[in-house]
Amino acid sequence: MPSLAEAQTRLRAAIVEDDAAGLLPLLVGGHEPAKRLAIHQRHYETSLVTALLGKFPAAVWLVGAPFATEAAREFVHRHPPTAPCIAEYGRKFPDLLASRPGAERLPYLRWFGELEWHLGHVAVAIDRPSLTMDALAALEAAALPDVSLVLQPGLRYLAAPWPVDDLIKVYLSEAAPDHYVFEPAEVQLEIRGARGEFRIDRLEPATFVFREALAAGHTIGSAAEEALKSDATFDPGRALAAVLADGLAAAVNLPSQGAGP
Amino acid sequence: MTAGLHRVSARCGVGLRLPHLAEVVASRPPVPWFEVHPENFLANPHAAELLTTIACDYPISVHTVGVSIGSASGIDRSHLGRVRTLVDDIDPILVSGHLAWSTHAGDYLNDLLPLPYDHETLLLLARHIDEVQDGLGRPYLVENPSSYVGFGTSTMTEVEFLSELVDRTGCRLLCDVSNIYLSGHNMGFDPYAYVDGLPIETIGELHLGGFTVEEDESNPGAEFLIDTHSARISEPVWDLYAHAVRRFGPRPTLIEWDNEIPLFATLVGEAARADAVAAQALDRQVRHAIAG
Repeated sequence: MPSLAEAQTRLRAAIVEDDAAGLLPLLVGGHEPAKRLAIHQRHYETSLVTALLGKFPAAVWLVGAPFATEAAREFVHRHPPTAPCIAEYGRKFPDLLASRPGAERLPYLRWFGELEWHLGHVAVAIDRPSLTMDALAALEAAALPDVSLVLQPGLRYLAAPWPVDDLIKVYLSEAAPDHYVFEPAEVQLEIRGARGEFRIDRLEPATFVFREALAAGHTIGSAAEEALKSDATFDPGRALAAVLADGLAAAVNLPSQGAGP
Repeated sequence: MTAGLHRVSARCGVGLRLPHLAEVVASRPPVPWFEVHPENFLANPHAAELLTTIACDYPISVHTVGVSIGSASGIDRSHLGRVRTLVDDIDPILVSGHLAWSTHAGDYLNDLLPLPYDHETLLLLARHIDEVQDGLGRPYLVENPSSYVGFGTSTMTEVEFLSELVDRTGCRLLCDVSNIYLSGHNMGFDPYAYVDGLPIETIGELHLGGFTVEEDESNPGAEFLIDTHSARISEPVWDLYAHAVRRFGPRPTLIEWDNEIPLFATLVGEAARADAVAAQALDRQVRHAIAG
């Protein structure tokens, strides 16, 4: 008699990998337990495929439901969820979608899917009260480069070699044109949302580098250095003021004592 | 945290799902209480914020679907911690979960999967229920599953297993009447005998949900029942519910509807019918007692 852990390993294999050979001798139910087991196998696939398609409606619109459904079926078997909140599932689905045979005709698909993923997440975020310039001014000027900022939860950054923001606006307009010319063009996007609303803004490359670095937890000094590498004329002071004026920052993280240079 | 003044109601509440959230916030319908799946709110801060406002006006029950007390690989403490945060925020009247498992070595299988009812499983679940009750800081109700298959290695009936769990952990039971009917049909046991075997004093809540019927390809002419929560409560389940109410007495009852979600008014209508069925069952019981 297998242990509970072994029985669960076999049941997982039956559901995720469609390998029920080791499990079926353990099961009872109906004339053919395999038919009953199929209810669980079908539920796993159907519920997760439905969740993925529901999370990426614009990508489904772009590639067509049959293509997206087949990709989702492959995804759920190759990448089972790792957490119980299914709303958090599917981060890597655009990668798989874009790697499927036939997707090469849509070379922008991965970034389009990634943008849609971000939109879904920022739209359910909640804004925190914005950090004021006065709060930052209260810090010693010399310490400022070693400070990092906590940005708003509903804020994401995406650089793409195609103007996928334009394409998703076509989807959102629900009025697809008969003919649409779509050419490669690098874009640096700031995606911001809260409480059901969202917006997408294009940023200058150096501003994008600065804000993306801040979002990744870099100190103000480090983010400014990164931005200056991409544009020697970048003005860190003005960029920081714009971050605060736009309400993007919610708090400061002070450097830990003794951690300075 | 909310005022914490809400009491458990024996009247029928409804499961609150995301498609109805804005309507409930705006209209504050006359529903005695709501039940939510925390997993729908933990990854949706906006919905969680709205839920917090609803919890100021309504009693809320928290029904976990991802805690997975039956997993041999252990309880996901990170998830349990997130549930605890929500529980602390809304101060629910009840917190419950399932006699099932869904996680395995880091994979979450998005289903409520069956367990063998034997000594090893009993020890594991007793340990995990203790862990959950400690982690949440309150009692946990365990729901009987809907079954399509079981394990030939089981050495106890489901009722015996649940009763042992109650004795060992002090947990209470969430009696899903629809699951009993469905499992009885699929697995070949008498649902009325199942209800009669449950320890009365441990029943903290009742569930009612709709199922769908499928042909059993392995047994031509026969059918099996799928726990889809996508339909109205079936007539035989209403009869079993009346029997359960007569046996257990008034208990908070919930209408669950998770797929092909209808207008909110449909859920309210099902809840009203549950109240009527319960009232009639109890009235008939009183009349029998007087006449007897």
